[in-house]
Amino acid sequence: MADTESNAPEQPSAEEETSATLVEAGAASSWLNENGFDHELMTRDHLGIEVIKVEPQFLIPISTALYAYGFNYLQCQGAYDDGPGKDLVSFYHLLKVDDSADQPEELRVKVFLPRSNPRLPSVYWIWKAADWQERESYDMYGIIYEGHPNLKRLLMPEDWVGWPLRKDYISPDFYELQDAY
Amino acid sequence: MVMTPPSATDRASLAPGEMLANPSAPPAVTHGLSENVILTTVDDLYNWCRLSSLFPLLYGTACCFIEFAALIGSRFDFDRFGLLPRASPRQADLLITAGTVTMKMAPALVRLYEQMPDPKYVIAMGACTITGGMFSTDSPSAVRGVDKLIPVDVYIPGCPPRPEAIIDAIIKLRKKVATESMQDRAYTLQTHRFYERSHDLKNVPPILTGQYLQTGNHDAPPKELLEAMGMPMTETVAELAPEREDT
Repeated sequence: MADTESNAPEQPSAEEETSATLVEAGAASSWLNENGFDHELMTRDHLGIEVIKVEPQFLIPISTALYAYGFNYLQCQGAYDDGPGKDLVSFYHLLKVDDSADQPEELRVKVFLPRSNPRLPSVYWIWKAADWQERESYDMYGIIYEGHPNLKRLLMPEDWVGWPLRKDYISPDFYELQDAY
Repeated sequence: MVMTPPSATDRASLAPGEMLANPSAPPAVTHGLSENVILTTVDDLYNWCRLSSLFPLLYGTACCFIEFAALIGSRFDFDRFGLLPRASPRQADLLITAGTVTMKMAPALVRLYEQMPDPKYVIAMGACTITGGMFSTDSPSAVRGVDKLIPVDVYIPGCPPRPEAIIDAIIKLRKKVATESMQDRAYTLQTHRFYERSHDLKNVPPILTGQYLQTGNHDAPPKELLEAMGMPMTETVAELAPEREDT
């Protein structure tokens, strides 16, 4: 373990991609492991910030624990489509905001959801910033955030059918949306 | 007799109230008239009044309005064309569609246009309102050209167009207004200058009810979530916070 830890920071990213097991557990992930919160490690993102993958049923306990650990600020919540036929992903960028914080500790949490029934609990009750962000993720990807106080479409018209940012979305053939010549 | 001024003799020889038929001096009344009266047609006068006070609706939905706002400001100063931005469509007779129009904005735009009094003019400003612009490839919501919704008089290309381009469009629109005639008004009633078709949409009750924080949903989490969190947030923080110092 000590060997991998000393090697990890100077390892090139290409080597990291070849074997996911070499990903070094960051501070937040180690703390979660010590306290028995089950999660999966993912490759660090391009800024070197640790990314963890969480099962939807464990999102609320782990988020509560992370909030208590000090991640008091939900910098960004969003979603993306992993590809045609693949999972939908709801992600959370967490930050430890403190007085005179210069390099605040960061963490990315990702939840992979089946596109047939994408449901996961809302983190609104932990970070209030998730309110409109989860509404937008619902609006664009149809991810249902259970327990959200006001889960309605945010950007699209209220009677819109479909989830526009999914990869398999087909635009309706409205006259207004047809090409202008 | 020669030495006496004509006016004196006239006045002396005329009976009170009588006017000289052909006075030798320049006629004072018609001279004054020719310097102070303009002869024109009612059409020209009416058009001149209208084109000198085109009141645009203060309408902007995207980055084009930044350029439009620059035009309102002192550097480009479109008040010199008699353009005063109006906040109400009832007082406006020019609509400059500055910015992308989406499917959600489309009904509002058509409604604004219909609320404007006749005669009214539309300038489509920028690529988005002409063809959809950069959103025309795969946007699920951008209307591909505002002329699918309302009739357009002048198109300004650009992304966004410079304020000078808007001035150019306004000058072109002024030329159009200047050539209009009241006699043609009966023949230029608006027909269907744009394609229209009913969408057969289902009516949905509005989701924005004005009751956002008042719905009571924001007070406490649902029971299932509360159980998943284990305990209220404050107690969790109190319990787990000391461990943060250890690690």
